[in-house]
Amino acid sequence: MDGCPGSRMQDFRKKPEGAHDESGKRASQLAQWPIQLHLISPMAPYYQKADVLLSADCVAYAAGDFHKDYLKGKSIAIGCPKLDEGQDEYVEKIKSLIDDAKINTLTVMTMQVPCCAGLVATAEEALRSAKRKIPIKSIVLTLQGDVLSEEWVS
Amino acid sequence: MEKYLNSPIKELISRFPKLADILNEYNIGCVPCSVGSCLLKDVVGIHNLPEDEEQELMGRIAGVVYPDKDIRIPKIARKNRVSKELKYSPPIKRLVDEHILIKKFLALVPWIIENMDLKSDKWRRLILDGADFIRGYADKYHHAKEEDILFKYFDENLDIIKTMLADHKTGRDHVKALIEAVEKQDPKRLAEHLNGYKELLAEHIKKEDEILYPWIDRGLSVTQVGGLFAKFNDADEKQGKGVQERYEKFVMKAERIAKGKNQKF
Ligand SMILES: [Fe+2]
Ligand SMILES: [Fe+2]
Repeated sequence: MDGCPGSRMQDFRKKPEGAHDESGKRASQLAQWPIQLHLISPMAPYYQKADVLLSADCVAYAAGDFHKDYLKGKSIAIGCPKLDEGQDEYVEKIKSLIDDAKINTLTVMTMQVPCCAGLVATAEEALRSAKRKIPIKSIVLTLQGDVLSEEWVS
Repeated sequence: MEKYLNSPIKELISRFPKLADILNEYNIGCVPCSVGSCLLKDVVGIHNLPEDEEQELMGRIAGVVYPDKDIRIPKIARKNRVSKELKYSPPIKRLVDEHILIKKFLALVPWIIENMDLKSDKWRRLILDGADFIRGYADKYHHAKEEDILFKYFDENLDIIKTMLADHKTGRDHVKALIEAVEKQDPKRLAEHLNGYKELLAEHIKKEDEILYPWIDRGLSVTQVGGLFAKFNDADEKQGKGVQERYEKFVMKAERIAKGKNQKF
């Protein structure tokens, strides 16, 4: 256990046995573009009164069924709380989603690594500065894509 | 066994009194419930016990109901078997927080009953302010959110919802009677209804906090949580600003008087 847990190497390659049947195609549940937090506009129609998913970049790669289990039925914005520049603008964007787009709920999905919790903090800061109040849920995934915790934070 | 699974719990308890102790052991509070029309299978399902505990409970119930037979216990179908502990969602949390203020008021009831003097203007004022708290806060502000908004998400014929509505109604009857008792200067009747209200609401709040609300939360989608939250905000706004603060002030004032040495008003 040394170094930053967010960038420490771990190997959890699966053994070949027990592979699931992956035949057939699955449709994408993405219903908008763009999705990166710097690029999105809170004025876009798909954010109005929506249930919004604010996802850390790595989440979609970790969750085996990201589209089916989390993205379906939601509008999305993504960002990395550790590496992205301009996190202040993220606060403003999320605040505008709450106040201007009048979103219904915000679900923040992050990875288990400690630095990722910054995205929840950003969302909470935006909520504090917003005029409206909405429920925010935090879902944290393990590196293997399982749900580590799921709770309403405000 | 199926037959009993589909029987109202009160009926079963009166037929097999031993069931009362067993249910109590598993913290299933049906024994003091005033209605008791919930079916055994719903009672077990709604409490969301861990699977092994539920099996054990059902085995013991079967042992009481059929003492000489070896009975196979059908599994209770459950919609939302979630093992993960989920804290109250924000709208439900708000109702739980409102219960806290109501419970603070209920805690003052024994003091009121013991010390009240209906000949005194100040005491009559305090008791009528208490009645106003029950009507304005516990009922209009809090129960209205439950009845007009939250319960509307469910079938009104569900036993658990019917039980809650019946409790609200009984509460209204108590407060009506206690106001009459103040007017008629009848301390005995007043004490009876104040106490009746306290016992009723304490049990009612416990049922909601520990059983109904967690069950509701397990079944609400994220979209529904957001919708409820917004509707609660609208409902509070409609009642005007400051309702929460006004009634908090009243309870704090009454607490101060109760704690004061001379109980000065
Ligand atoms: Fe209630
Ligand atoms: Fe309540």
